[in-house]
Amino acid sequence: MDLLRDILDKQVVDREQVKIGKVDGLVAEVRPGKPPKIVAVELGSITLARRLGERSGRWMARLAARLGGKRHAEPHRIAWTKVRDIGVDIEFDIDVRETAIFDWQDWLRDHVIRRIPGAG
Amino acid sequence: MKKLLEISLGIVTSVGGFLEVGSMATAAQAGAAFRFQLIWAVLLGTICIIFLVEMAGRFAAVSHHTIADGIRERFGFTAFLWPLLATLLVNFMVMAAEIGGVAIALELATGIGFQWWALPVAFLAWLFLWKGTFGFIEKGVSILGLVTLCFVVGAVMLKPDWGQVAAGAVPTLPEHDAANYWFMAVSILGASVSPYLFMFYSSGAIEDQWDKSYLGTNRAIAGLGMSFGGTISIGVLIVAALVLAAHGIEQVDDYHQLPLMLIQIFGFWGFVLFVASLGIACFGAALEIGLQQAYLVAQGFGWTWGEDLKPRDDPGFSTVYTVSLFLAAIPIALGLDPLKLTIFSMALTAASLPLTVVPFLFLLNDERYVGEHRNGMIANAAVIFIIALGFVLAIVTIPLQIFAGT
Repeated sequence: MDLLRDILDKQVVDREQVKIGKVDGLVAEVRPGKPPKIVAVELGSITLARRLGERSGRWMARLAARLGGKRHAEPHRIAWTKVRDIGVDIEFDIDVRETAIFDWQDWLRDHVIRRIPGAG
Repeated sequence: MKKLLEISLGIVTSVGGFLEVGSMATAAQAGAAFRFQLIWAVLLGTICIIFLVEMAGRFAAVSHHTIADGIRERFGFTAFLWPLLATLLVNFMVMAAEIGGVAIALELATGIGFQWWALPVAFLAWLFLWKGTFGFIEKGVSILGLVTLCFVVGAVMLKPDWGQVAAGAVPTLPEHDAANYWFMAVSILGASVSPYLFMFYSSGAIEDQWDKSYLGTNRAIAGLGMSFGGTISIGVLIVAALVLAAHGIEQVDDYHQLPLMLIQIFGFWGFVLFVASLGIACFGAALEIGLQQAYLVAQGFGWTWGEDLKPRDDPGFSTVYTVSLFLAAIPIALGLDPLKLTIFSMALTAASLPLTVVPFLFLLNDERYVGEHRNGMIANAAVIFIIALGFVLAIVTIPLQIFAGT
C-alpha cells in the first residue's frame, strides 16, 4: 500500500459511520535500517495549515489555542492501531463524541444553530 | 417503470439546474445583438456540459465519491485548495446574480426596487434549505421550472426561418462588433458549462444513493436533461432575435427590456410568464448553488453533510449555506446591477473551468475509482477539448472584458 496515495486525504469515519474529517496528516516513526512505520493520523486545521507552510502552521496553532484552549493547541491524533476498515472511507474504532474533534461543531450547534427555529 | 419515472424526474431537475439567470441573460443578449449567429455557442456549451455531467454522475455512482471528495483525495489538500477557492468565489458571484434575477422578477411584478428584495429572497431561499429535504428541493423547484418552456413555445409561434436558425449552428465570423461577439460567446459558454452544475450533480447522486445500477439512468439524464435545457436557451435566443431586434433593441443593457420578448407573443400573460420564468429559474439556481457551497466545503474538509439531515446534525454544513446566501445578497442589496454582475460572472465561470475540469481527466481514468467504467476515447477527447477550450477562455476573458465592456 502506498500510504501517501491511499491514506492521506481520505474521508475518516468513526465506528458509528459519522464523518469526522479527512486524513489531514500522517505521523510516522522513523526506525533505523527499516522503512518508517505509520503510528497515527492527524486531523484538523493545524495539520492542514502546516501543509501550506511552517509559518501558517504556527499561526493556526496559536489561533486554535486562543479560540479553543489548551485542548486545541495540538492537532487531533488517532492511533493507527484503531483502524477498523479501509474502503471508500477509512473507519477508526473510536467515538467522535469522546474526542475534541467536533468541539467547534458542538459549539456552533449549541450557540447558534439550535437558537434558530426549526433546527430540529 | 420506476426507472422511467426517475429518468423523467432527473431530466426535469437538470433543466432546473441548467436554465438560470446566466443562460437566460446571455441568450437574450446574443439574440438581440447577433440574431441567430451565436446558436453554435449554446450548442457547444450544451455538448460540453452533457459530457461533464455524465462523468460526474458515473464517478459518483461507481466510486461513491463526489467530485470534490475525489479531487481532494487524488490530488491532496494543497492542490485541492485552488479549485476550492476558485469555485467558492465564482459560486458566490453566480449566486448573487441569481438572487438579483429573482429580485428583478419581483421588481417587475411589484414596482418595488430590486435592491429591497435581495435580503427577503435570500431569507426565503435559506428557509427552503433549512427546512426542506433534498428530494423536496430537487422536485419542487424543477417541476415549477417547466414554466420556462414558454420560451420554446414562443419561438415556435414566431415562425422563424428554420434554415437561418440551422445556419446559426455553424460558427461564423461576425460582421460587426467582433470583441462583443466573442465576449458573448465566452459568456454563453460560461453560462452553460458551470462547475456548480456538475459538482452539484455528483453530490446529488450520493444524496440519492446511486450505485452502478444507475449508470444507464445517469446517461439518459445527462444527455436528455442537458439537451432539454439547451433547447430552452435556444428558444430564448430565437425569441430575443425576432422580437427585440425588431423593436430596435440590439444592446440589452437593462432587465426591463426583457419582458417585451414574451409580451409581443402572449400579451399580458407574456409578462406574467416572463416574470414567473425568471423568478423561478433563478430561485431554483440560488438554492442549488447555496447547497453546492455547503457541499463543497463540507466534502473538502470531511465534515458531516446532507440536505436530508436536520441542521442540528450537520451544524458546519448548514452554517456554510446560511452564511453564503446572506453574503451573496449583499451586493444586490447595495444596488449592484444584476445584469452586469450576471454577464461578468458568466465570463469568470468560463475562465475558472480548467481548475475544475483538469481533474476529470485523472479521476475518470483511475481504475481505483471507476474500475472498468473508466472513460473511453470519445469521453477523454471531450475532456481534453473542454480543458483546451477552458484555457483559451481563461486567457481571452480579461482582454475581452476590457474591450467589449459590460
